[in-house]
Amino acid sequence: MEQSADRDILEIMQKDLAKALNKPRDKRRWAMAIDLKKCIGCHACTTGCMSENLTPPEIHYRPVKEEEIGEYPNTSLRFLPRPCMQCDAPTCTPVCPVKATYKRDDGIVTIDYKKCIGCRYCLVACPYGARSADVGHYYTGEMHGKSYEVENSGEYGGNFKRKNHWRSPIGNARKCHFCLHRIEKGELTRCTTTCLGSATYFGDISDPDALITKVISKPNVIKYREDLGTKPRVYYIL
Amino acid sequence: MKVFGVYLPQKELLCEFSADFIKGKTGIWSYIAALGVILGAIGILSIFLLGHGETTNTSSYVPWGLQISTYVYFALVSGGCIFTNFIGTRFFYDHYKPLASRIIFMGLITAIAGFASLASELGHVERMYMFIISPNPTSPMFWMSVWYTADIAILIVEYICIQSNIHSKRVLYASFIIPVITYCSLGSLFGAVGTIPYFYSSLLPVYFIFTGFLTGNALCALIAAMYARKRGNNEIIASFISMQKIGLAIVLILTLSRIIIGLTGNANGYEVFKETLPQNILFGVIAALVIPYIILAKNITKNSLLISSLIVLFTQFMARLDLVVEGFRMPNFQVYDMPARTSYTPSIYELLVVVFSVSIVAIIYIVCEKTGLFETAGIKGGE
Repeated sequence: MEQSADRDILEIMQKDLAKALNKPRDKRRWAMAIDLKKCIGCHACTTGCMSENLTPPEIHYRPVKEEEIGEYPNTSLRFLPRPCMQCDAPTCTPVCPVKATYKRDDGIVTIDYKKCIGCRYCLVACPYGARSADVGHYYTGEMHGKSYEVENSGEYGGNFKRKNHWRSPIGNARKCHFCLHRIEKGELTRCTTTCLGSATYFGDISDPDALITKVISKPNVIKYREDLGTKPRVYYIL
Repeated sequence: MKVFGVYLPQKELLCEFSADFIKGKTGIWSYIAALGVILGAIGILSIFLLGHGETTNTSSYVPWGLQISTYVYFALVSGGCIFTNFIGTRFFYDHYKPLASRIIFMGLITAIAGFASLASELGHVERMYMFIISPNPTSPMFWMSVWYTADIAILIVEYICIQSNIHSKRVLYASFIIPVITYCSLGSLFGAVGTIPYFYSSLLPVYFIFTGFLTGNALCALIAAMYARKRGNNEIIASFISMQKIGLAIVLILTLSRIIIGLTGNANGYEVFKETLPQNILFGVIAALVIPYIILAKNITKNSLLISSLIVLFTQFMARLDLVVEGFRMPNFQVYDMPARTSYTPSIYELLVVVFSVSIVAIIYIVCEKTGLFETAGIKGGE
């Protein structure tokens, strides 16, 4: 990391991504790291994610929790972005009765919108609250969404319009998928590219030379609620 | 009329009932139930046509609401009917015999009514075939669906046996064991959720079986009390009072155990037990369990059984709603405008689903009772 300090980290991660995509899918291990010292709580990742995945009201794939610490006058704000943890031992996938949600061999937990029956058991099982139910709300509060709300989001191949409640993704569970559609095209996740403070790292942790691998090898790196045994793939740098 | 070994109401009697219904001679309850079915059907249709976003109050914060709790309630009532049938057949058959076909029939229609409520909650119910083509054996919900199907199948077999006056011990035991597994699976569906401390408990499958017994038995007791009132047959009442008292006592112990574990445990999220303590004690224990027990302990009459059964049926319905909804009281990740404690009030459409489930059970039972289906069964089979 020290060697590349003068280079833009996005550029480095972009190259790492291209390198990872040359490997077979089962050899990649996608992961994310978030530097909490760098996070300024601008919510650019949240809004970027919302525009990328066209998420409806109340559905945030990557919310940022704000917490006030300490007592006046010694107070400060702490920000905690929370994407899906893409756990290596996920609690959401075993409970799905129809295998609609599963962990890919590159580590990303996805949902097959065509299979999901909308039982919401995975929402109940996720300890991070990272899953949401798309019940068919629109920002306008009307029964039918405006054109910008119903167009293809690009998620999972881009064949899912929120046109009406008969069609997926309405009625389904939804979650962050590390912008799978972007990384398969060789683009970094939207939250990584929109982060103002360059606080978000993304890449293949099976590559010892990748920037993210170096970043997460420091002692000040933790995982959120690791005690649950879920083995998250999102790392937080303190 | 007999189809695949199952007696159906005779055509002439059905026509007669229809004519009486039009003339207003079938009693107030048949009209209330019919109205409930119509209103409930409108509610369910609205959910399918307008979508969940427009009609229900469940959300990402409270993913399961009244429709799921209604499903759980009816499923457990169904189980309770089956357990009552087993106990009645094994231990006081002579008194129980005239009620057997009614009770198994109730078990069957409550299971189907519960499913109607569940179906209206699913985001994509049309994909239910996925349970067959893409099953996931690690999911408690998958196993619940397997055993629920088996449960309905064995109920139909048991019903045919009762109607045909065939006494098969194998069927009787199967119709006891399969529901035990089914309602254990339903309990583990909730009990296995380690992320929600209000659910997470190995006690829950056991709790479900006994609350199921209590609730289903209360419905059977209602039928028995009405039967006794109509026929002047009082011998059956004492057995049902004893069963209900046992059910109340066991559920009281289990409910208190759940509360005590919740209060003394210090796992993250156990605060819900403290916050809901007053309502749990007042409604969940005193109103739901202690008062019915006192009523039954003081008077061994048809009316006391009727009243206590009605109390149990209503309070257990509320207890199921409480069990499902309070689990989501504390969000796992509170962010933005999400409240520290989530609240949930069912929408009118969700209430109409309940009205449909209750009314469909009532109307089918009334029609079958008035057309003499339960009398025909057994007698003809025995000939």
